[in-house]
Amino acid sequence: MSRSTRIRAAIVLAVWVALATFPEWSVAWESSRFAAGIIRQILIFAIFASSLNLLVGYAGLPSLGHAAFFGGGAYAAAIVAQRLGTDELLVSLGAAVAGAALLALVVGYLAVRAVGIFFLMLTLALAQMVFAIAFQATDLTGGSNGFSGVHRPVLLGIDFNAANDLYLLVCAVALLVALLLWRLATSSYGRALVGVRENERRMRALGYDTRTLKLSAFVLAGALAGVAGALSAYEFRFVSPNDVALGTSVAGFVMVLIGGAGTLVGPIVGAAVVLSIERVLPSQLPAQMVLGIVFIAFVVFARQGLVGAVRRAVRA
Amino acid sequence: MIDIRELRRDFGGIRALAGVDLQVQAGERRAVIGPNGAGKTTLFNVVTGELRATAGSMRLGAAALGPLTTWQRARLGLVRMYQRNELFDPLSALDNVLLSIGSIAGAYRPLRSPRRAERDAAATVLERVGLADRSAVPARMLSHGERRQLELALALARQPIALLLDEPTAGMSPAETERIAELIAGLDRSLTVLIVEHDMDVVFRLADRITVLHEGRVIAEGTPGEIRGDRQVHDVYLGKAIEA
Amino acid sequence: MTLEDALQQALNGLSFGALLFILAAGLSLIFGMMDVVNLAHGAFYMLGAYVALSVTRATGSFWAALVVAPLALAALGLLVEPLLLRRLRGRHLDQVLITIGLSLVIADFIRLRDDWGWGATVRSLPFPAGLDRSVAIAGSDYPTYRLFVIAFGAGLALLLYVLHRRTRIGALVRAGVGDAEMLSALGVDTDRLFTVTFAIGAGLAGLAGVVAAPVFGLQPGMDVDALIYSLIVVVVGGLGSLSGAVAGSAVVGPADTFGKVLVPQFALALIFAIMALVLLFRPTGLLGRVRIGR
Repeated sequence: MSRSTRIRAAIVLAVWVALATFPEWSVAWESSRFAAGIIRQILIFAIFASSLNLLVGYAGLPSLGHAAFFGGGAYAAAIVAQRLGTDELLVSLGAAVAGAALLALVVGYLAVRAVGIFFLMLTLALAQMVFAIAFQATDLTGGSNGFSGVHRPVLLGIDFNAANDLYLLVCAVALLVALLLWRLATSSYGRALVGVRENERRMRALGYDTRTLKLSAFVLAGALAGVAGALSAYEFRFVSPNDVALGTSVAGFVMVLIGGAGTLVGPIVGAAVVLSIERVLPSQLPAQMVLGIVFIAFVVFARQGLVGAVRRAVRA
Repeated sequence: MIDIRELRRDFGGIRALAGVDLQVQAGERRAVIGPNGAGKTTLFNVVTGELRATAGSMRLGAAALGPLTTWQRARLGLVRMYQRNELFDPLSALDNVLLSIGSIAGAYRPLRSPRRAERDAAATVLERVGLADRSAVPARMLSHGERRQLELALALARQPIALLLDEPTAGMSPAETERIAELIAGLDRSLTVLIVEHDMDVVFRLADRITVLHEGRVIAEGTPGEIRGDRQVHDVYLGKAIEA
Repeated sequence: MTLEDALQQALNGLSFGALLFILAAGLSLIFGMMDVVNLAHGAFYMLGAYVALSVTRATGSFWAALVVAPLALAALGLLVEPLLLRRLRGRHLDQVLITIGLSLVIADFIRLRDDWGWGATVRSLPFPAGLDRSVAIAGSDYPTYRLFVIAFGAGLALLLYVLHRRTRIGALVRAGVGDAEMLSALGVDTDRLFTVTFAIGAGLAGLAGVVAAPVFGLQPGMDVDALIYSLIVVVVGGLGSLSGAVAGSAVVGPADTFGKVLVPQFALALIFAIMALVLLFRPTGLLGRVRIGR
């Protein structure tokens, strides 16, 4: 690893350690528990947004149906855990990844036949189909009432039921996902995705099977969204059709764009901003409206997102 | 090496290619010339697979190209340089070439950064085309001539066995043209080169044989000397009508 | 299913189809002209319905609402297009993203305006007097309002056809859908044309909202439903043309209606399956001219 990479890794690790131990060192603060809960949710959605960023920011595939895999993973984790009667983390998380990946394979196979705005429309519509299934398959998913009574997982004897324990689990998973995406972004595969985004025609002329490349990114992103979904199921002990709804897909998209598409830190920043607006803003203020206005403002004035804007300022 | 027979391509009522026969030997430098609209770029588009052939056959060596997609043909070694640059604009020149080289090893190396050897190979290619000192510059910031050089670099980096050059010297200054012509002349003879050009000096300098295209058909083929003396070619270029 | 039931459902399918046409026509028009998929289309539909609610309450007249709501939405379109979309000319994806933001704002705005009689509670719009009874058709009663919807949709289709084919503005629209750049080169003020087109599209969405409101009611989430259906209609029928909107709604309307009756659990899946099939085998849509992929 080069020196700058080593420095970056050290910073990331330091930040992560501070974050992971937050419940401990902030214990005197009266809002500590509330803040820890918010941070958990931010991290969960940061994973979701990061997975979408792989599609939108790197491969240039504007997907508006990513919630299908988030919620799909959540449902898979919850349903399998209940049906098999086990709380083992590897089982439910594995089911989430497998379920989300399979779903992404089916949706992606149809969707990558289209490009640009048509791809967007297609992912939107296909995700709505998943929503319809979640809503109507009451025996399987609990229908409009949702799937409640999801247990927090157990990993080889370690119980993650307590809020602070779950906090650690979420932090650990978030770190792993971040490291994976970091590797991916700098790898030949990540470069190939960027190539497809910048000039798909040229990539094909150079010998890249771009359709399969896009599909693989779609499945990978879906699988990671499934991971976030499983964590969400553990966090709220509940899965609802809202988790596969258009609103969740849009929220993810907003997070990616506001944070900075195509950057590693962007989606995390975006998740923090969006969740802060949604959860911390007093209930009288219209969170969705604020989000909508902020989103529009970013699209018009700061298309590169916060991270992009900061980078440009630093360079200037 | 390249064997094209009876190649046709129609666009609605228009016959862009009306039965083209073209055989290029391995290692040969073949120039394809003709007035605008003769079908030269269409020929390239069909050979690379970006356009479907309406009829006819194409072979690269022993392989029939017809059922193959563009990227499959590229993997066989049929690589193209575009007339209008198709670069990766926000990426540096080096990153552009790295993508080309990366295609050889395959895209699915998700956990590995490009190897040292690949970076060195990319740097070497950039040096060959004369962009060694511009390797860190984003493609969109290069001058037109430099972009053309990068375009050629992308094609060369792919280690082709058959290289299709679409007007490589288009829009270049005399100095740049000279450099590119040198470069092409110096290419290894294991490489078969098919080149579309308008600059006749370059054509006569580089080509072993010349094929003349007019209205989607081959109207003449031969050595530069033969073509220079050919009456039909003369008429076509001076705009006199050809009796069908 | 008896013959009477079948006839009932057929009429239901037709009325739903007519509604879908009014809704999808605007979306198709905006896309055809500006290459922008207006994802705020559902929100416009919703806003139209709620404006109609207020107008009907204030004036006691549904017909007043039928006129005012589309005009209000058209006015909104006249404002929004130059303000938000024009500055992003050429950046189609970004324009689509802006419409997403717009839909969030509109939907939340409606949700908050309890004081206007809107808000998050489910509301209803009564049938207009004169259309609130049933008519005997083939042995059973059928609501006259739905017959009105069918007639209205057909009439609107005809009107749009005439405007499209026989008037100057229609010619401009046709030309613009084909090649807006060329039109600009010929000296036509394409900026104004785009704005007007967007306003018409928004107005049509609002109109659909008014017409649909007595049948479907008003509640949060109706914008998403409308958006999804209009997207399916234009994908199936063909994006960018009025005939595509007709074809799409003619397929989706009856399919959805009969699907809900015959295979209720799979009704939605059926619609999406139709869409997926069209995308796989005829990506331009049944009557479309715009290629969706490569």
